[in-house]
Amino acid sequence: MVTNVTNFSRSGLYDWMAQRVSAVVLAAYFIFLLGYVVLNPGLTYADWHGLFSHNAMRIFSLLALLATVVHAWVGMWTISTDYLTPMAFGRWATVLRFFFQAACGVLQFVLFVWGVQILWGI
Amino acid sequence: MILFLGLVVLLYGLDMSLASEESFEELKACLTSPLAKLVIWGLLSALLYHLVAGIRHLFMDAGVGETLEGGKTGSKIVIAVAVVLIVLAGVWVW
Repeated sequence: MVTNVTNFSRSGLYDWMAQRVSAVVLAAYFIFLLGYVVLNPGLTYADWHGLFSHNAMRIFSLLALLATVVHAWVGMWTISTDYLTPMAFGRWATVLRFFFQAACGVLQFVLFVWGVQILWGI
Repeated sequence: MILFLGLVVLLYGLDMSLASEESFEELKACLTSPLAKLVIWGLLSALLYHLVAGIRHLFMDAGVGETLEGGKTGSKIVIAVAVVLIVLAGVWVW
């Protein structure tokens, strides 16, 4: 088994699964939200606020937020290990990749906390 | 990468849309500007293409369209479906 210290789950197989599962959650959430706004032209604040106040919607939104973090991590990891390589950047590639991934991790954490605040602040 | 950074824009919009009635109306007014429409259309385009290509990935995981011929056909279908959805999204945004 190939392991890599910067994998999301220390295993490519689990990463693969996490990417698919989060993808299905995100697809469902995106299609639902897009459908909702397309089918409700002239949406008011009361409708919108009501939708996100619903407990089921809060759970769905939080699940989608979590799936976003997982999905984005696997995606950014893939980009960084594909392109930030010694072949392209020489001996500093590992340092560069480390800082890129660290920045992605920090941004994901910030987005997650911010998202929770938005969803639970209403 | 664009989608990842676009999350910041989308979360900011979600925050404004839910924080208060005033910020909701403010966001609505802001979204009438051509630049905002272009940004939303751009993000929607990236999301839709990513979604369609992702669904193709799931099909290929299930063993559908894994041959060389199937791969070529699949990529053409993805582009065709994505273009149609992106045009529709543009019509909806404007």
